Amino acid sequence: MLVETRDLVCRFGDIIAVDGVSIAVDKGEVVVIIGPSGSGKSTLLRCLNALEEIHSGEITIDGIKIDKHHHHIHEVRLEVGMVFQHFHLFPHLTVLENVNLAQIVVRKRSFAKATETSRELLSKVGLADKIDVYPAQLSGGQKQRVAIARALAMNPKVMLFDEATSALDPEMVGEVLAVMKELAHSGMTMLVVTHEISFAREVADRVLFLDNGKLVESGSPEELLVNPRHPRLREFLSRVL
Amino acid sequence: MDWLFEQTATLSKIFFYLVQTIHLTILITIVSYVIALALGLTFGVARIWPNKLVRVVAATYVNTLRGIPLLVLIFFIYFGLGKIIDLERFWAGVIAVGICYGAYLAEVFRAGILAIEHGQHEAALSLGMTRWQTLRHVILPQSVRIVVPPAANEFIACLKDSSLVSIIGLRELTRAGREYASDTFLDFQTWLVVGLLYLIMTLTLTRFVHYLEKKVAVAGYGAQKNAG
Repeated sequence: MLVETRDLVCRFGDIIAVDGVSIAVDKGEVVVIIGPSGSGKSTLLRCLNALEEIHSGEITIDGIKIDKHHHHIHEVRLEVGMVFQHFHLFPHLTVLENVNLAQIVVRKRSFAKATETSRELLSKVGLADKIDVYPAQLSGGQKQRVAIARALAMNPKVMLFDEATSALDPEMVGEVLAVMKELAHSGMTMLVVTHEISFAREVADRVLFLDNGKLVESGSPEELLVNPRHPRLREFLSRVL
Repeated sequence: MDWLFEQTATLSKIFFYLVQTIHLTILITIVSYVIALALGLTFGVARIWPNKLVRVVAATYVNTLRGIPLLVLIFFIYFGLGKIIDLERFWAGVIAVGICYGAYLAEVFRAGILAIEHGQHEAALSLGMTRWQTLRHVILPQSVRIVVPPAANEFIACLKDSSLVSIIGLRELTRAGREYASDTFLDFQTWLVVGLLYLIMTLTLTRFVHYLEKKVAVAGYGAQKNAG
């Protein structure tokens, strides 16, 4: 298993955001996490990158364990790429510098080597012509594609997408989903939190449904989306579809 | 007419005499401010460091130094510490001004760092950067743009407060003015010129700050700070 959590609990004060979730994700698997807002799906994802503190339970990523003392978070973050809802590009750097930065600073690649990787990834996401532009001059969809390239440049073993299309104008959602689909087909292990049920249906190997911090149901997209068993999931799907 | 001519001649005489002493005012200001910048950056970062002990030490420095009048600090360092260690006037003066303004600048830097959206930290950390790398490559370069105007304000205030070190016998502009006035009894004209010389320096600096603000701006960045 590439990503594994066991009885993971994450809380903010008295609020239990993730309540004893155990999941296991194989290499190359695409797992889509759905659920109403406040169900803990984003928090679960953020725990996998040690952006949230773990209250109890454990996470193992590619054999590296994160416990609540946050040992090894640095090693784990090197293996895990993350794409945020609000992009979080570095506004003071150009597109190329955004993608280069961590490669040079963290992976200790030379500028030439990093730039080569960045150019390749940026042309893959269709932004080869925007290399010297600052983020403020890009559309939302373009920003998110740069953010994906930036995460991929670190050669992560897993990619996490935290509502990557939720902040986008409708006409830009497609271009970002297309990049994500291509990535899924190329064999990347992905955990995707999204409201795009069609993406789940087309791309996911497995769908997880979270409600109130608990993993309520999991299975193939057909099982979950076509024949949901749990009443909460049925209710949720009737509202989003 | 003669009176006016006479006064003008006196004023310009004083002006050209005193202008020779502003180099020391400028030197004291710059050296003090460099000390203040180093301390301000260090303690500004320390105030928001995850380690609690570091934060407490930094907060103590800021609150203590902000709460003591600069003049008292100058006396304490020159006369007080001067009894224990041999300190030249110049160094006693710039250290006093430096650590005082270091406390002010620590607050400026702290605010500049806190003004950067939390997502920037998270993005950098998620790319495997350490806290220090995040600060160095992502946060501080953005904070600079926020910090320039208030830090420049402090520089101008620092220039004016450098006049306080005249009290320990450093012959900068204010001290030279006092000596000149008491030698010639031309108090009105002398202090008028001293004030004018400070004003010329501060106005020049204000101009320079405007230039600097334009220079550190990135195209389109100001408009969409949060959407980056």
